[in-house]
Amino acid sequence: MKQVQVHPERCVGCMQCMLACATAHSQSKEMHRAIGEMPLPKPRVHVGAGLSGEGFPNRCRHCDPAPCLLACLPGAIFRDPESGTVLIDPDRCINCASCAMACPFGVIRYHQDWLAPAEKTIAVKCDNCIVRQQDGLLPACVEVCKTGALTFEESADALKRKTAVVARSVSAAVDQQFPPAAGVALLLEMKKSLHSLEDR
Amino acid sequence: MGKYDHRTITRDGQLLLQKMANDQVETVWERLADQTPQCGYCEMGLSCRVCAMGPCRIDPFGEGPQKGVCGADADIIVARNLGRMIAAGAAAHSDHGRDLVEVLADVAVDNAPGYAIRDQKKLLRVAREYGVETEGRNALAIAGDLAAAMQDEFGTRKGYLTMAGRAPAKRQELWKRIGIAPRGIDRETSEMMHRTHMGVDNGWQSLMLHGLRNALSDGWGGSMIATEVSDILFGTPQPNSNQVNVGVLKEDQVNIIVHGHNPVVSEMIMRACESQEMLTLAAEKGAAGINLAGLCCTGNELLMRHGIPVAGNHLMTELVVGTGAVEMMIVDYQCIMPSLGALAPCYHTKMISTSDKARFPGMEHHEFHPDNAARLALDLVRKAIENFSQRGETYIPVTPTPSVGGFSVEAIIAALGGTPKPLIDAIAAGKIRGAVGVVGCNNPKIKHDYGHVTLTKRLIEQDYLVVDTGCAAVANAKAGFKVAEAAAYAGPGLREVCQTLGIPPVLHMGSCVDNVRILVLAAALADALQVDISDLPLAGAAPEWYSEKAVSIGAYFVASGVFTVLGPMPPITGSMNVVNLLTSGLSDVVGATFAVEPDPEKAALLIQRHVEGKRKALGLPYRQV
Ligand code: SF4
Ligand code: SF4
Ligand code: SF4
Ligand code: SF4
Repeated sequence: MKQVQVHPERCVGCMQCMLACATAHSQSKEMHRAIGEMPLPKPRVHVGAGLSGEGFPNRCRHCDPAPCLLACLPGAIFRDPESGTVLIDPDRCINCASCAMACPFGVIRYHQDWLAPAEKTIAVKCDNCIVRQQDGLLPACVEVCKTGALTFEESADALKRKTAVVARSVSAAVDQQFPPAAGVALLLEMKKSLHSLEDR
Repeated sequence: MGKYDHRTITRDGQLLLQKMANDQVETVWERLADQTPQCGYCEMGLSCRVCAMGPCRIDPFGEGPQKGVCGADADIIVARNLGRMIAAGAAAHSDHGRDLVEVLADVAVDNAPGYAIRDQKKLLRVAREYGVETEGRNALAIAGDLAAAMQDEFGTRKGYLTMAGRAPAKRQELWKRIGIAPRGIDRETSEMMHRTHMGVDNGWQSLMLHGLRNALSDGWGGSMIATEVSDILFGTPQPNSNQVNVGVLKEDQVNIIVHGHNPVVSEMIMRACESQEMLTLAAEKGAAGINLAGLCCTGNELLMRHGIPVAGNHLMTELVVGTGAVEMMIVDYQCIMPSLGALAPCYHTKMISTSDKARFPGMEHHEFHPDNAARLALDLVRKAIENFSQRGETYIPVTPTPSVGGFSVEAIIAALGGTPKPLIDAIAAGKIRGAVGVVGCNNPKIKHDYGHVTLTKRLIEQDYLVVDTGCAAVANAKAGFKVAEAAAYAGPGLREVCQTLGIPPVLHMGSCVDNVRILVLAAALADALQVDISDLPLAGAAPEWYSEKAVSIGAYFVASGVFTVLGPMPPITGSMNVVNLLTSGLSDVVGATFAVEPDPEKAALLIQRHVEGKRKALGLPYRQV
């Protein structure tokens, strides 16, 4: 089963995944139109800043067992048996925020959505772009991510690759484990150095 | 042709794309696919890289940041970005103009062997316009003073541009009234860079107004100087027959391609190709001759003045090398993809860069200056001839299309019998509904040549006279619209006029700096009718634009009063305030606006609606569109 895999060391923080995700969950599916829609579509992935200001794309892990699912009293949160995706039923959600309290990753947001009853605020999070996948498309964030910070593949494959890289880097005894590109590494080095000035 | 007809409507393009795919050579289309989807912030003009507190971006969905670190909001950031695009475009055209003025200055002191004054009449006319004494003086002395006077226009000393005086009086008054009369060529570009520095002009409206002034300093300044000085040095174009598309390459001859914009280099190459010494050498090497062809606008410059064939427009520049039949490509500057140097080794083509300000990876650099140009041109042509024996298999899949070019304003007025009156009469009678400038580049985001050709076809069918320049002009020539017989494509009124005058329904007016010829023609029509340009039944269109220069051209068309339709959307959708100003608000300010319409069928309707509206306002017979 292919999953969205996150490789934070490759994230440049351009926030393209946020735009693509919001667009993919709009009515028109077209960015220039989507920004005029009511309610305004919003992203399900959120790029946060790490210790030195490097980007980190934060999205639902579709945990199993899922704390949010267990916490949802009205039973709005359920698991799609086929893909394992944790989904929220907008009609059942009562906007109680229990799921957000239970979620260890802070990936749930509350707002209106064109698929929910009008004017109703509901819990919203990543749905693995299940509709796009049915249409044979990649999840929108993966498609748009130009640096490879987001990939769509079997977890086992991703982990195997990572194992190989870790093994090689350990033998080379370098501290930069996954040098994605010289420019990115340089930028990160500069950012770290700048950040370290704060402690002087 | 199936496989590549989504990329280009041209047969040579489709066949060569297949060839390049077989050769496993990437082109601009593959690189676009690799880049897709492209950054939404940048597409919307919402990213700002102006300073090192940034870079910043504004989230158009309202979730993320709404202000840059400095506090600039979406309107300010979009306006700054667009302003800088105009500045870059104006700078490119104007610097091209400056290079020609330098040659003129060198000719005056006899320091430019091979160059000469080839249109004395124009030299005298322009010199008088600049207040240079002409009575009883020799041409070189006049040329020296004219060059000096023109060099002054680049700075700020005078405070006004001489050739802006060619605009109708009403237009000049309007510019002064709203404070956008251009004051110096470099000054306006420099001021734009100043205004868009962090913490200077943070009024999106005032930034956009200065954008218009900056563009005017190009249209009625830098570009106009480029065109006029080119005419003085190389001759004012007259109608001539020529051929276009990849089929102009010759199997049995040494093929040399000039690519870029400035005739300073290509004219010298042309003269070298014609020299007896080189022709003899070519014969010795077993070639039946030396075949010079152009690409992009330096191609248009040679086509306009000498009927030199043009092998293609912007998106054909890589494919032309794929024929394997090009011994040498000589480039100057602007619109030369840096991919070309890497592409050439897949074939035997020698790539040569020539400008001190334009370097390309994988190209041999031989710098042209007025004093060495004639000699260097011979050296390069010799190298090209020697490369003929290295040629492998060739693939020239089509035969060339005939076309007629060379319609300078002077040539059009001459074709009309010495005055614009017959054209005005035909417009007044409704035989010709109006005139439309179809200009600009190619852009792989829109099917190659589809925008230009479709729009032009629809317009001439409806009796609109089309004048074109740049890559649009090459597209229309390849489509066969530029021979007298093309009158058959025109509506009955336009067809009659074309047949009477023996002209095609689409008039090739030159390169992209030559868009100023359209301005001069528009001004002549306005003066004849004693109205402003914005009152005329005219429009402009850039259906496949890509470059910053095109943004400047569009802006000086609009600021001069010409309604202008763009194909691809410029990066401004991040600010609906800026969008609304450009597409409607400006009509109250300069009497014209932009429109954006990627579909050329719909663009044709927008233009017809606009022009018929102008006809109505002038009291001329009009149609309901
Ligand atoms: S698109 Fe990729 S690189 Fe850009 S913010 Fe998202 S995860 Fe990071
Ligand atoms: S907010 Fe909705 S989804 Fe979350 S726990 Fe409450 S009912 Fe469930
Ligand atoms: S899978 Fe879909 S919903 Fe989840 S982050 Fe990616 S684009 Fe957004
Ligand atoms: S000028 Fe302002 S918006 Fe632009 S990069 Fe600097 S801080 Fe950011």
